[in-house]
Amino acid sequence: MELDRRCAKCGQAIPWGEPECPLCSERLGYFWLQRRDTFLILVFVLIILLFVITGYAVRRYHAVERGLAQDWYSRGEQALMAGHAKAALADFRNALAYSRDNPLFQLRLAQALVATERVPEARTYLLNLRERDPGNGPVNLELARLAVRERATPEAVQYFHDAVYSDWDGNPAVRRRTVRLELVDFLLHSDQEAAARAELIAVASNLPPDAKLQTQVGALLMKAGGYDDALRLFRQALAAEPRSAPALVGAGECYFQTGQYTQAQRYLNRALQQDPNLTQAAAMRDTARAVLDLDPFIPRLGEQERGQRAREAFDQAMTRLEACAAQRGIDLQSAHDDPLHTLYAQATTFQPSMRQRSLSRDSELLSNTMDLVFEIEKAASQACGEPQGLDLALVLIARQQEGGRP
Amino acid sequence: MTSTSPTPPASPIATHTAARAAWDKLRKRIGWEPESEMLGEPQLFLLLAVIIGLISGLAVVLFRIAIDWTRLSVFGSDLTPPPTRTLLVPTVGGLIVAFLVIKFFPRARGSGVNQTKAALYIYDGFIPFNTVIGKFVCCALAIGTGQSLGPEDPSLQMGAGIASALGRRLRLSREKVRLIAPVGAAAGLAAAFNAPISAVLFVIEEVIGKWTAGVLGAVVLAAVSSVVVVRWFLGEQPLFRIPEYHLVHPAELLAYAALGVIGGISSLILVKLIGYARPRLKALPRWSQYFQPAVAGLLIGVIGLGLPQVMGAGYDFIDQAMHDEFTWRMLALLAAFKILSTSFSFVSGTPGGMFAPALFIGAMIGGAVGSIEHHFFPWLTGQVGTYALVGMGTLFAGFLRVPMTSVFMVLEVSGNYSIILPVMISNTIAYLISRHYQPTALFDLLSRQDGTDLPSMEERREEVSVHVENAMRAYQGTVLNIEEPLSTALARADASAEDFVFVEDGTGKWRGIKKEELRRQAAQMPEGATLRSLLPEEALPHLHPDHVLEEALRRLGDLPLLPVVNRADFRKLEGVVTLAGILEAYREVGPRRFKGTRPQPA
Repeated sequence: MELDRRCAKCGQAIPWGEPECPLCSERLGYFWLQRRDTFLILVFVLIILLFVITGYAVRRYHAVERGLAQDWYSRGEQALMAGHAKAALADFRNALAYSRDNPLFQLRLAQALVATERVPEARTYLLNLRERDPGNGPVNLELARLAVRERATPEAVQYFHDAVYSDWDGNPAVRRRTVRLELVDFLLHSDQEAAARAELIAVASNLPPDAKLQTQVGALLMKAGGYDDALRLFRQALAAEPRSAPALVGAGECYFQTGQYTQAQRYLNRALQQDPNLTQAAAMRDTARAVLDLDPFIPRLGEQERGQRAREAFDQAMTRLEACAAQRGIDLQSAHDDPLHTLYAQATTFQPSMRQRSLSRDSELLSNTMDLVFEIEKAASQACGEPQGLDLALVLIARQQEGGRP
Repeated sequence: MTSTSPTPPASPIATHTAARAAWDKLRKRIGWEPESEMLGEPQLFLLLAVIIGLISGLAVVLFRIAIDWTRLSVFGSDLTPPPTRTLLVPTVGGLIVAFLVIKFFPRARGSGVNQTKAALYIYDGFIPFNTVIGKFVCCALAIGTGQSLGPEDPSLQMGAGIASALGRRLRLSREKVRLIAPVGAAAGLAAAFNAPISAVLFVIEEVIGKWTAGVLGAVVLAAVSSVVVVRWFLGEQPLFRIPEYHLVHPAELLAYAALGVIGGISSLILVKLIGYARPRLKALPRWSQYFQPAVAGLLIGVIGLGLPQVMGAGYDFIDQAMHDEFTWRMLALLAAFKILSTSFSFVSGTPGGMFAPALFIGAMIGGAVGSIEHHFFPWLTGQVGTYALVGMGTLFAGFLRVPMTSVFMVLEVSGNYSIILPVMISNTIAYLISRHYQPTALFDLLSRQDGTDLPSMEERREEVSVHVENAMRAYQGTVLNIEEPLSTALARADASAEDFVFVEDGTGKWRGIKKEELRRQAAQMPEGATLRSLLPEEALPHLHPDHVLEEALRRLGDLPLLPVVNRADFRKLEGVVTLAGILEAYREVGPRRFKGTRPQPA
């Protein structure tokens, strides 16, 4: 430091590196620049000029940033759609480097993180987004999906509900319905039929007159056990599209499940006319027909017919019993401890009194016979699995007689 | 024949004088008297603070854009650049920066904080304007090409340089020019941080070292104006997206204490590395200084091949750490390699700041500690991002040794007062560890390595004040009453053991007179006169036991002793202070005043 150099004017030390005293020097400007007020005015002009230059530079830089962000985002979207989640992740990160607070980019980054199994990071992003905008539908939906992945049912339901009542771009009604249907799907998988039914009823109340949609919601309602509401939707769908096979099958199944086999048969027949390849519908229709053919309790049946049906039911039950015993390797003559043997013994004792005429005349006998048939079918179902064909029909008749729905 | 001799060309001085005369004429005609004092110096100082804030804010906006533009141009827009660029860019960038610094901007070296302090304490507030240009160009190049340094300290120095230039051009008094540099420093730092309170505190805590009303208003005005400009152009959002904080369980504070310990040790490692390597590299032949930043750049490039996050200021990655985007292993790796790469960059003489690296390392350490604790004690631990945020403050406290700023920085950045408990715990522990094992703070260490002895703010804070109570002694003499007749007063004064007697007027005002003087004046007074008629109207200055001794010296003047009175009852004399007593007190307490390890000059 050259501290010994002093200014001739003010006598102060001249700082190191300076040719002359910075406080007294006039070399930098013209005389009018030395004047304080003039200089201040110039400074203000300089500030305005700097504002203009900076504004221009910032605008240009932001434009470049926006362009880069959009480019990286588009690349990320393509990569994500192509299933390259890792590449998408890097692209979205780059996009966010140029547009840090863009919620869409953050959402996509979170989705890419989920796709690469980096769930905690994704959750942090989503929670931040939610904190900033609690009414963001897509964010709440993603959080709900994360909760579903982690089987956190109460949280998932909460986030789904938040998503339903959040803001959505585009067509909010459709997005909300889709979210609710996703929630229903989750509830059905979590064995929460009652909650699912409640959600579906809410969906059904706001459905547009769209047969496909009505059929879709109806099918879900049926899964949730809401047959009456489902049936109403299927019928609405059929009113718009009478030949819709799915709606016809749905309505037929609703009738079937509520024990209205005549109606079920009618709708299922119509469905099969539209599409003969509906195997499940055909099987259901056959079962309905079998119930109608076998059920001795159908009103307005003649006594003889009633007795004959009871006899057929008894024979079918005995066949099922013997087949089930054979399947399980049980000798019905000797296996005393087995419930199937007990029933077989009971049926064998009962058999001689079951002549056609007696069954027709004696309603009590008919009733006892059918009770035995139901017991045999139930026992066989427990021992050898779900029945098929006529046996299934008998089980359904049994359930109907017990007062419950099939 | 008349000969027409050619008119000689006007000399520059003549042109200058003529122009000045024309200008003065025009001024008088339009009635404008620019030299009239429209603004007094105090008002001008405040106006200048706003102007400095505006210009510094604009400069910092351009500086940030220059850094980003450089990075985009040389690395491309991908956050993970290709390997060849990762190796080549910092190396070539280092070469160019070294050339510019050595050839054109020698004062642009270093972080900028000490240079600003030097301007304040050595050069009367003088910072050449080409330092501002040099800092802008060299730091934009260095940081943009991946050197592990930050833009905050250079912004601070640029602000100070702008302020100094304006102060000089406006011909402020020497005292004001000296004070204007810290005002600019606050503006620059506030703009770079987008956090005015932290900037003001840092400048007070580290540059000025004391709270003075004269400069505080200007510092605040400048900081606020610069932040307004930055927000105008770059938006309201803070540097990082801040995670939500709530204390999960009181036991979580133990986790923050652990963070404080780790942060303190990490700060220590970084300071020790810099303290060890910097003088050794500076001692190498001059030609090697052209290559040191390039070698540092190459080493950083090698690290960058695996961990590109350590290159540059790294704000994006601090943000990612705050949002739990790295595993704890990755966070720990990033912290360790950032310590290395920052040391490489800084000790090689590359211009650039230490704030951003400190924040980066702190965030990574905080994130790592938070992740580990989250793994083992999930029920006791809040968001990992909060640990990263607190970690930033912790490193700030431990590495830069600015405890107040570190606390307020986290509060200001997070906008959440409830985070104060963990921040205080963690920062205090880190600060204490760092101070215990490294008694000289980083900036003081650097200034001493550079051969200057700038005042250490930390040592100033540690200074033991000597008070009047250390120097006072009991008064042995008689206290006279002002209404006493002279004859009685003379008799009592003669009996006094002290040569100087005090007179109390009943209202707590003290007067005093030497016995000889009393005797001499009393002889000329008429019979029955009281002491009041003899003593001057003006009371003696008095002291209180808690006054600092400097104040006693100032008040003592030529008096032989001064009364020390009770603060609650001015009529109660606690003792007296004499010059001999003051000197004795300084002799006794003096050696204990400096607790630091200030080295003796070579």
